[in-house]
Amino acid sequence: MSDTVSQSADKVLDHFTLFRQPEYKEMFERKKAEFEYGHSDEEVARVSEWTKSEEYKEKNFAREAVVINPTKACQPIGAMFAAQGFEGTLPFVHGSQGCVAYYRTHLTRHFKEPNSAVSSSMTEDAAVFGGLNNMIDGLANAYELYKPKMIAVLTTCMAEVIGDDLQGFIANAKGKDSVPQDFPVPFAHTPAFVGSHIVGYDNMIKGVLTHFWGTSENYDTPKNASINLIPGFDGYAVGNNRELKRIAGLFGIDMTILSDVSDNFDTPMDGEYRMYDGGTTLEATKEAVHAKATISMQEYCTPQSLQFIKEKGQDVAKFNYPMGVAATDELLLKLSELSGKPVPAELKLERGRLVDAIGDSHTHLHGKRFAVYGDPDFCLGMSKFLLELGAEPVHILSTSGSKKWEKQVQKLLDSSPFGKSGKAYGGKDLWHLRSLIFTDKVDYIIGNSYGKYLERDTKVPLIRLTYPIFDRHHHHRYPTWGYQGALNVLVRILDRIFEDIDANTNIVGQTDYSFDLIR
Amino acid sequence: MLQEKLQDVFNEPGCATNQAKSDKERKKGCSKALKPGAAAGGCAYDGAMIVLQPIADAAHLVHGPIACLGNSWDSRGTKSSGSQLYRTGFTTDLSELDIVHGGEKKLYRAIREVVQQYDPPAVFVYQTCVPAMIGDDIEAVCKFAAKKLGKPVIPVMAPGFVGSKNLGNKMAGEALLDHVIGTVEPEVTTPTDICIVGEYNLAGELWLVKPLLDEIGIRILSCISGDGRYNEVAQAHRARLTMVVCSQALVNIGRKMQERWGIPYFEGSFYGVSDMSDTLRTMARMLVERGADKAILDRTEGVIAREESRVWRRLEPYKPRFDGKRVLLFTGGVKSWSMVTALEGAGLTIAGTSTKKSTKEDKERIKKMKGEEFHQWDDLKPRDIYKMLKDSEADIMMSGGRSQFIALKAKVPWLDLNQERHHAYAGYDGIVNLCEEIDKTLSNPIWRQVRLPAPWDGKPGEA
Repeated sequence: MSDTVSQSADKVLDHFTLFRQPEYKEMFERKKAEFEYGHSDEEVARVSEWTKSEEYKEKNFAREAVVINPTKACQPIGAMFAAQGFEGTLPFVHGSQGCVAYYRTHLTRHFKEPNSAVSSSMTEDAAVFGGLNNMIDGLANAYELYKPKMIAVLTTCMAEVIGDDLQGFIANAKGKDSVPQDFPVPFAHTPAFVGSHIVGYDNMIKGVLTHFWGTSENYDTPKNASINLIPGFDGYAVGNNRELKRIAGLFGIDMTILSDVSDNFDTPMDGEYRMYDGGTTLEATKEAVHAKATISMQEYCTPQSLQFIKEKGQDVAKFNYPMGVAATDELLLKLSELSGKPVPAELKLERGRLVDAIGDSHTHLHGKRFAVYGDPDFCLGMSKFLLELGAEPVHILSTSGSKKWEKQVQKLLDSSPFGKSGKAYGGKDLWHLRSLIFTDKVDYIIGNSYGKYLERDTKVPLIRLTYPIFDRHHHHRYPTWGYQGALNVLVRILDRIFEDIDANTNIVGQTDYSFDLIR
Repeated sequence: MLQEKLQDVFNEPGCATNQAKSDKERKKGCSKALKPGAAAGGCAYDGAMIVLQPIADAAHLVHGPIACLGNSWDSRGTKSSGSQLYRTGFTTDLSELDIVHGGEKKLYRAIREVVQQYDPPAVFVYQTCVPAMIGDDIEAVCKFAAKKLGKPVIPVMAPGFVGSKNLGNKMAGEALLDHVIGTVEPEVTTPTDICIVGEYNLAGELWLVKPLLDEIGIRILSCISGDGRYNEVAQAHRARLTMVVCSQALVNIGRKMQERWGIPYFEGSFYGVSDMSDTLRTMARMLVERGADKAILDRTEGVIAREESRVWRRLEPYKPRFDGKRVLLFTGGVKSWSMVTALEGAGLTIAGTSTKKSTKEDKERIKKMKGEEFHQWDDLKPRDIYKMLKDSEADIMMSGGRSQFIALKAKVPWLDLNQERHHAYAGYDGIVNLCEEIDKTLSNPIWRQVRLPAPWDGKPGEA
């Protein structure tokens, strides 16, 4: 484009504006007219309209094979996330290295932090002859290069398809002095073709605990007063884990968070690079077997782990991403019950303040219709909070959602008149949600960054409240759990509602009579 | 001069309260002396601004330190269908040196700049405490500026210290009577031209009423001051009839227009079904008395019959939901008595009402309607309101923003019924809006949450 006139060194245009300049527009138009041989604009518009219809929705829901825009990730990323919550732990992914690059970038794009993981870089010959050599060399190299305190091994599909046996491979590698005999190398088989990231999370937690606690059932394990807590796969882990620790501190409970990624995904910029930061210490992880109880914040992230923990004689309690007043009440009561300590005065005040805030703003939320999508636990927690606010969760969708989950959501909806128009969609994707929103309109969508395409197509405002959030920064630093967290969520929802009202009333001379200063 | 004006508004023959007073009492003025140390409402400047600011195409210039404009800028939801200039904050932002040297020159320059840059049809200049105390003669400045710039520049002499918000309303009315009304002649007049006084088009309320008037064939020549334009207000003297909406605040305009131009006035309300109908009827009847075509009487009845049946039909679904629900009305300016009928019509029970700003006549009316037993309070202290709510004598309180938090802290739902509300409650449609809002407020699940004891309460050994 030698005749480009728009770009100049004095004022460099970025892609937002550069390609709207006349010479680019002309180029695009010419390309379209002379080379693309596309359908006419009218035909495109007609089909686009058709995809919004009830008829299309039926075809869409009759889909059997193809999944379009799923709201789930794969097992390994969940397992890697779980592993990164332990002190000095390097996730070692047995399989092809491309997968690992994906997990790392995915997490980094959300948390805006680097995160470490290595792979055994299996190639074609490893696929044919098995990946044992890659494991032996890989563990040795990782140990030498990155000096971890623990290496957590997980797998990609490639290793799973050929059936590599991690337990045997690791023993073999230790036999060849890849790492010292007593060096902790917990592992989890995490095929992406089974379940999703929440299952991977569960597998890795169980893998780590198995390593430290042993496999055998032992209901008579000696107990102390401490309590374990497993947060589950949570994009708000930085804010939430810290909030949980604060709550435990106020109670005076000795609490061990099993897999605490809050420091690892939020390292300070002070001139020192921390390849591993914070995390649950290996000592504490080992000792955690003696806790009297374990709480899971996300039931669907921990079914196997909880079963395993139960077999060590602990009480277990499970929640579904508890958000809002009642859900936080339940959590605190459980903590109080398990620890025998009263709910701290400070938290009681925070509850009053949260209720007060909801009272101040409820008119703006009342009867507003929401589509909610995300992980099964998030959907449950979010819907519960919406019902509490007098808002109506209408479409609740989770690609990882099961029939059991659907029933659980339905039960929640049945508990409130505001849930009357709600329905759960397990195993469905965002393309299904698109049809749902077009045929049964909602006022707002709650989800993650992927929802922005839905927002664009349907013109329904999106509220980003769950992982991954790529296109907004730092939300993960603010908790969504506890009364303080509920307040954050409330404010985020309200902000979007008010922005929406402003955006709908800001045309000068036409709608700005309602462009009010006070809302 | 200010004192003369004050005596003049205190001695308002059109005001029933005033007429019931002795000469001595009257001289003391109609606003109760404020109690130092006790919570108080807005000042006279605030009151004047409330009345005049809805004149949308005028510039409103506040002569004073930043406090007066800075804290009140664009805080009222009065809507305009055209110019949004009234929402731009103009002030002279007086500083220390201005106070030492006097602010008159700065004021003139400010008026000049406003006129040069915005070319509004008129500039309202508001006096505030500080320049009033240092003796800035803003009337003289306005006169000079008007001459020099060839534009109406209207001084509004209601510095905060002269009294209450209500008094400021009246002073603003006086400013309109002295400087605005009667200065412009309308291009066309009709026998059904009316002037509405004291309607501010909050949340667009006037727009719920206007279509009905259009349909009947009544023309709003001038509205003081909702969705107002300067020139419309200035031609109010050619109206055939004046309707005074917020009777206490601006009855002086109605009465003086009658005095000066022989325009009859009546007090009416757009709130509540029966009051709305009464208002339309009175309007039509009085216009016919002044020579309008009798046909508007039939058209009015037609509109009333249709709208009433429509509104009752639309309120029907609320009745079962409102059954047994008690309302505490604490409404200040908005007519308590007219709300009472409307809400009862929708199935609510009225637990009581405040009559702080109501006239004696209003109180009589409520008494007649509800009997002697009915709770009416002239002045209810926040503590007493709180106690009533706490003792659950009501299921919902409707009031202005200032008492909002009393209700909320007492765990009782609250509905905004004052100038800062976001929903329009006037006219027939407005009542439906109101019931919708009441229903939403009553049924919001947070109230259940609020009233339930916290789960750890009442468990011995845990709390």
